[in-house]
Amino acid sequence: MEESLVMITETILIVDDEDSVRRTFQDWLTQSGWNCQVIAVGDAESALAAANQQVIDLAILDWNLGTGSDGLQLLEDLCQFHSEIVAILVTGFAHQATPLQALRMGVRDYLDKNQDLNRDAFLAAVKRQLDFIIPAKRRRQWHDHLQAFREAIEQILPIVQTSATLNDPVPFPEAIQELFQFVQRTTRAMEGVLLVHSHESGSEKFLAYGSNGTCITSKLVPFSQSLAASVISLQEPAILSAEDLKFLGPVQLQPFEIGRQNILLTPMPVGGNVQVVLELFDKETSGGFTEEDRRFARAASGFGSELLKQALAERQTHRVLFNAIDAALHASKSLANPTDEFPTTPQSHAATSTDLLDRLREGFAATSQQVVSADLSVQLAEAIRLLARNHGTAAVTHCLHLVESVGKLLDEINPSSGY
Amino acid sequence: MNNEPTIFDELFAKIRPETLLGDPRATGEGISLAIIDSGIDASIIADRMQQNGHEYQPIEGAIFRNDVADLGPYLGKQSAPHGTIVADIILRLAPRVKIFSADVVGPGGMAEVETVVRAIYHAIEVWKCKIINLSLGVPEQKLHPIQKKHQIMRAIDEAYYRDVLIFAAAHNEHPIVHSYPAMFSPELISVDKAIFENEWQFAYELREHIEFQAYARGYLGPFSREPATSWATPHLAGIAAKILSLRPNLKLFEIKTILYWLFQSSKNGKKENQ
Repeated sequence: MEESLVMITETILIVDDEDSVRRTFQDWLTQSGWNCQVIAVGDAESALAAANQQVIDLAILDWNLGTGSDGLQLLEDLCQFHSEIVAILVTGFAHQATPLQALRMGVRDYLDKNQDLNRDAFLAAVKRQLDFIIPAKRRRQWHDHLQAFREAIEQILPIVQTSATLNDPVPFPEAIQELFQFVQRTTRAMEGVLLVHSHESGSEKFLAYGSNGTCITSKLVPFSQSLAASVISLQEPAILSAEDLKFLGPVQLQPFEIGRQNILLTPMPVGGNVQVVLELFDKETSGGFTEEDRRFARAASGFGSELLKQALAERQTHRVLFNAIDAALHASKSLANPTDEFPTTPQSHAATSTDLLDRLREGFAATSQQVVSADLSVQLAEAIRLLARNHGTAAVTHCLHLVESVGKLLDEINPSSGY
Repeated sequence: MNNEPTIFDELFAKIRPETLLGDPRATGEGISLAIIDSGIDASIIADRMQQNGHEYQPIEGAIFRNDVADLGPYLGKQSAPHGTIVADIILRLAPRVKIFSADVVGPGGMAEVETVVRAIYHAIEVWKCKIINLSLGVPEQKLHPIQKKHQIMRAIDEAYYRDVLIFAAAHNEHPIVHSYPAMFSPELISVDKAIFENEWQFAYELREHIEFQAYARGYLGPFSREPATSWATPHLAGIAAKILSLRPNLKLFEIKTILYWLFQSSKNGKKENQ
């Protein structure tokens, strides 16, 4: 998309029934070094045929085209193909021109064949119009690209939302409650806390949740000095007694850890930039946590991790993805608004577009149970966008049927690879 | 074959803990050691050194992050307590060793394979360390795709051919869980945990890719009393640093041989395997 904007060229149509004039204008333009496409024809019929083939940005029209037609009439017809067309009228009979009518139809300048029409004057007139046309044309293309992008995102959004609903069956507080019910019943721990540490884009979060799933609001000791960070480094459950807690060294206790007789700490790998530690405090029965409790905690960490992955990591994934999509929609809306300041360079468009795609890619890449690479996901999204833009919704629907058919075929060939 | 001692027995009988580790010059002096871990709290270490009557040598280091090309400055802080406990163990055994802290955990709280590999190269090439302590192991499942495994293998190769000794912790659940790079034991010194009477004791016990066992308790913080391979590894690294301060250019196989014969000459004190 960016490439087409950077390589943009303007198309200039010259219409004059005099061969020598037509060739001269064409030579002047091709030798100007402006990288414009120049089409030169001798009559209205050929001009309309050319306009039917491609968008004409600037028409240089002879007033008197012979055979009864005139440049103004031709311009009116050309406007049917491209309403934004700009024209320069060339005439040997300036007094015959009707400026008001012509201006209404997009004639921006006159060149008089009988008064000093030389190369410099001709090119200066064309240049004046190109200076007007190029930014306006880029703005139109910018708007079209954004519109297409926005339509594609809007098509993808329901799919992503449906997928998120399917993959997010347990809300986070409920997941924590379920986890605590399970582990407390088995270990007979009196209380427990779930500590969640995350680090994303330079921002660190360290939160504690009680066994009812609510966030504990008391101020926490930094993660770097916490028991939780220590047990994550050890990569396995640990049991601490009141005796152990007398020798803190590089560790500080959280408010809810102070005064405990026993703590069973279990790291729970959930993937990504998130670390989770389950802490269980003091048994209902006499004596501290046992080796059996530790073994159970190790086993429970697998189950708990899966539960929390669903509730936490997937939720995070979807949040990142939704943020990216939201940003894309917001950007496309604001940039498509003509009252907003127009980005003047193609680079700014490229940067914005790249940024949006990067954020989408990050969103896809953040999934903890990724089955398709981020690049492939973005390629898929782009393919859907192009399919929808070029061939409409029916083509996308047909494509989905094809995917289902391929899936069924593969399932038949290799049933063990199915869901 | 009779049981009469051979010349080798007589030779290696001279390699005894009291002669090598008891040598007053065996302090770790002149040896640089990188602790690739979670950073070190320098103020805690300085206090500990003072308490133990040793001069504190400033710790140097850097913070390595996988998502940032430049190294972060080491400001004497830890990202987690683990690295400080490891440094305390090494300096307890070899108080004159020069410590470099490679914090591969950082604010993200977890070490990635690529970050550990970067830190290994940095310790070899920039800090010119003779010993690298890797108490943070990488579980096997984190080494997918296979390129990650190759990356870490190449770094271990590089250390071996540059005469750098890597001490790597087995997983605490060894042999159920394989931990890297300890599994590459021929090119490094892999360490498992065991219970011994004191911190100077260790064992050569070749099994499941792991060669050595060492004293598995630390001295600092609530987790130190919990036997762990994380604490066993710096014990053996500290002992090696002492030996190296007597002859700094010893090669990996020479150190392994010396450790082996030290164990053979003092086969006692080990209480049980964990």
